[in-house]
Amino acid sequence: MVSTGRLGRAAAICGAILATLVFLFPVIYMVGISFKVPRDIFTVPPRWFSELTFDNYTSYFNQARILPRMLNTVIVAGGAAIISMVAGSMAGYALSRMRMRGAGVVAGLILASRAVPPIALVVPMFLVARRLGLTDQYITVILAYVTFLVPYVVWLMRAFFRSLPPELEEAAMIDGCNRFGAFFRIIVPCSLPGLVSTLIYCIILAWEELLFALILTNDKAVTIPVAIAGIAADTEHGGLWGPLSAVGVLTVLPVVVFALAVQKYLVKGLADGATKG
Amino acid sequence: MAPALVLLAGMLLYPIIYTVWVSLSDFDLSTFQPSGWVGWKNYEAVLADPGFLQSLKVTGVYLVVALPLQMVLGFGLAFLLNVEWRGRGLLRALFLIPMVVAPVVAGGVWRMLLDPLWGVVNYALGLVGVGPVEWIGDPTLAMVSLILIDTWRWTPFVVLIASAGIMALPSDVYEAARSDGANRWQTLRHVTVPLLVPVVAAAFVVRWLGAVKMFDIALAATKGGPGQATDVVNLYIYEKGFRGLEFGSASSMATVVLLITMIITYFLFRISRRLENRW
Amino acid sequence: MRRFLRLGAVVTAFGLTLAGCGSSTTEAPADGGGLGTAESPVSIRVIANDAFAKQWQDQLVPEFAKKHPNIKVTVDGVPYNDQLAKSMLELTSPTATYDVILGDDPWFPQLAKTGGLVDLKTDLAKFTDAGYAWDDFNPSPLAAGQWDGHQYGVPVRSNLLLMFYNRELYKKAKVAEPTSETTWEQYFADAPKLVQDTDGDGKPDAWAVGTYFTKDPLTPTIWQTVLNSNGGRLLDDDLKVSFDDDAGVKALQTQIDLLKYAPPGASTYQFNEPLEAFRQGKVATMFMWGSVYKGTAIDKATTTLSEDQVGITTLPAGSAGPGAHRGIWSAGVAKKSAHQAAAWTFLQWVTSKEGEQWVGANLGTFPARDSTLQGTPPAPWLKPVYEAITKGYEAISKGQMWRPRLPESDAVQQILALQTSRAMSGQAPAKDAVHQAAVDISALLKSKGYAQ
Repeated sequence: MVSTGRLGRAAAICGAILATLVFLFPVIYMVGISFKVPRDIFTVPPRWFSELTFDNYTSYFNQARILPRMLNTVIVAGGAAIISMVAGSMAGYALSRMRMRGAGVVAGLILASRAVPPIALVVPMFLVARRLGLTDQYITVILAYVTFLVPYVVWLMRAFFRSLPPELEEAAMIDGCNRFGAFFRIIVPCSLPGLVSTLIYCIILAWEELLFALILTNDKAVTIPVAIAGIAADTEHGGLWGPLSAVGVLTVLPVVVFALAVQKYLVKGLADGATKG
Repeated sequence: MAPALVLLAGMLLYPIIYTVWVSLSDFDLSTFQPSGWVGWKNYEAVLADPGFLQSLKVTGVYLVVALPLQMVLGFGLAFLLNVEWRGRGLLRALFLIPMVVAPVVAGGVWRMLLDPLWGVVNYALGLVGVGPVEWIGDPTLAMVSLILIDTWRWTPFVVLIASAGIMALPSDVYEAARSDGANRWQTLRHVTVPLLVPVVAAAFVVRWLGAVKMFDIALAATKGGPGQATDVVNLYIYEKGFRGLEFGSASSMATVVLLITMIITYFLFRISRRLENRW
Repeated sequence: MRRFLRLGAVVTAFGLTLAGCGSSTTEAPADGGGLGTAESPVSIRVIANDAFAKQWQDQLVPEFAKKHPNIKVTVDGVPYNDQLAKSMLELTSPTATYDVILGDDPWFPQLAKTGGLVDLKTDLAKFTDAGYAWDDFNPSPLAAGQWDGHQYGVPVRSNLLLMFYNRELYKKAKVAEPTSETTWEQYFADAPKLVQDTDGDGKPDAWAVGTYFTKDPLTPTIWQTVLNSNGGRLLDDDLKVSFDDDAGVKALQTQIDLLKYAPPGASTYQFNEPLEAFRQGKVATMFMWGSVYKGTAIDKATTTLSEDQVGITTLPAGSAGPGAHRGIWSAGVAKKSAHQAAAWTFLQWVTSKEGEQWVGANLGTFPARDSTLQGTPPAPWLKPVYEAITKGYEAISKGQMWRPRLPESDAVQQILALQTSRAMSGQAPAKDAVHQAAVDISALLKSKGYAQ
């Protein structure tokens, strides 16, 4: 893209590293705390370690049932993100292409549904789930998350699709594809960076959601943020910053690993030259 | 498009109608259902509640400062992170972390960093002879801190979307621009920016709706205090509903916020549509 | 678009039918669901706070199972901030998910008002063990489970605000250690001396006090205690606001004045921060929940202090006596529970003389029974703690040192929290904050039908 001189390039790389470090500083601090004994966490002046400990990782691992709850979180976040991506990107595509009357209104309504304060949604959702006997089930939490993810997917994907020239699928349709075929064979591959970014965003939002998870689950489907809130609000023992940071680190890791794994799809090139041929 | 609509209609319409219904009635805690119809009474009380009005104001200040800051910072960083080198993918993945840290933990860590007695930030400032600064204890600085934390947390989202947008830019356009002899500034002004407008607008609107609903970080970092200095409207509603169990007035407030947000969102649409059409 | 609207209408109608249609509530069986047999054990579920749910499940429940192998107990934990709302949602359900409901001190009127709890003394008398000694409970913690003349809960985890002090910092400052007789005047006379420079670098590095100062419903409990220990009350017997006077202002001003002798940044102190400041030897006194004693004086992993460095007593005395503030977790039985007998059997065991001994020795929970408090503590270090608790209970009963006993208790505490924070951060003088709190609370109670 924009050609930059060798010097500019080096400066940009340094800038990127520096910016990442600045943004990661609180995270590095958190990782530090997770290996500290409690008496080292609050000190004047701040000090790193008088001794290293893994207790924060081990002691609360069972206490807060981290492993099953992590699994729940993966199921819920993954399920919600996938459903939202499928439903939302199709709607986003339709809204970006179809010149139908009221498309703008529908797009607006979909997005504006996100303006409802979550507290107003969670109680009625709980009441309905209870009436259907669906509390404490994955599907309930997944559907709840889908409602807040879909509008974002629709909106973001609509923007990404709009930046693709319409000639792309027109060509495919002349070649005998129907709209669906054109969408899956041409549009989806061409907008991979957008799809992947949106997917990452969906997973992150579902990953750290607290309020709905808290109200809609009791035991079986409880997710990590609920466990974290429980440790944080422990007014019996106090000073739980070590375990809290440790759980914080543990919850961050899977998302970073996932993000690294999908990095290769976050590359430019697929859309390139597609219009030339 | 149909599947998305069915899902949304199914999951959202009832809760919204329920909320409006509760907001117009007396909430009976013994059944957790709305009971008697009270008309506009809850709304009158809510609109005369100085706490609610104050929280709207606080939310406004936070949005006006935080959103543009995050957008500019996010797109700037996305350009920096777009330079091709081997560590780029790693940096991009690491950049996601602030979003992933649970709000309670993030708020707590920031409180520790900013503490005047044992916080690292004040320690560093102390080395150069400044401070100690009451980052969270002072009403004005508490707002600064809240915006700082929120910006730390959500700029990565803008970076994520902006990076994808930048990458999706077709390179043949640039080749054309270069062959036309455009310099870097002209390319940015006439090629990059127009092509990015839909993505910028979408990122802004998504961030706007996310920011309106923000309350977890405020709850974890400042508790909305001191006084009401950082009491954003969703925190105020949350505390009214979930701590004070005032569901009638909480629902009225939620409806008012919904209306205001929809109106502003409508105007944002109009603006973004106009921007998209202009280029 | 039209299809969309039609669909929406259908879905909405469906939702309304779901939520609106008659809620058929289940009646509890007359035999309370029995206590189970080896062939068909009964299961009960407990909704508790996350802070101790796992501890109960892993330690308390197996111990109970030794006595009652046919009652299976599951304990679900909920984070504190949302536990009340969650419990309310569960209690108002047409069928009971939970048989046993745990609630913090101010929650019981709200939980009871749903009509979802039974009176343990009367409704469940038929399932009560003959040896279960109600009279042995100290009246102060027992009252936390009472509302409107009924006993809806029994104390399962007792706690109260006490004054912790660091003997070494007192000695360094050459100040006499506080006792239950120390008055607020005396305390403030000593406070400047307790802000001291212990390492001789010319800058103060130890301060007098750490406690709640931030915007939090628990922060006003400090000045509420001061008010109570001067004989004042938040609400009078007719539930009319009675603190909008000099006594109220003086009480709030006391807490504001404490800030002068607290470490830098103390205005943001909630629960963890003062605790850490005390454990690091940075503050000479701390007004805090007694339950933190073990982690503050005994557990080497969490504290830099040792047992002989940490003193514990009641909060400084006002004109009517020493101060303390009640924070009791009580447990009740759900009215819609199909296993009331088993649920109550579980609670009886936990709160029996024997159960309380076991809980005290193994979980470190404070007792609510006089016999436990006066008996030999399960560990020697508990001796001064039990003495402080006994004195604290006395003060609490005498000065009615608890949060308002109303279904609107938390809403009242929210108003107090906001106005306290305004005064604490200098956004309003104490007099204005107290007045505004009084006006807001009065308006709130009036809107709920109380005569004001």
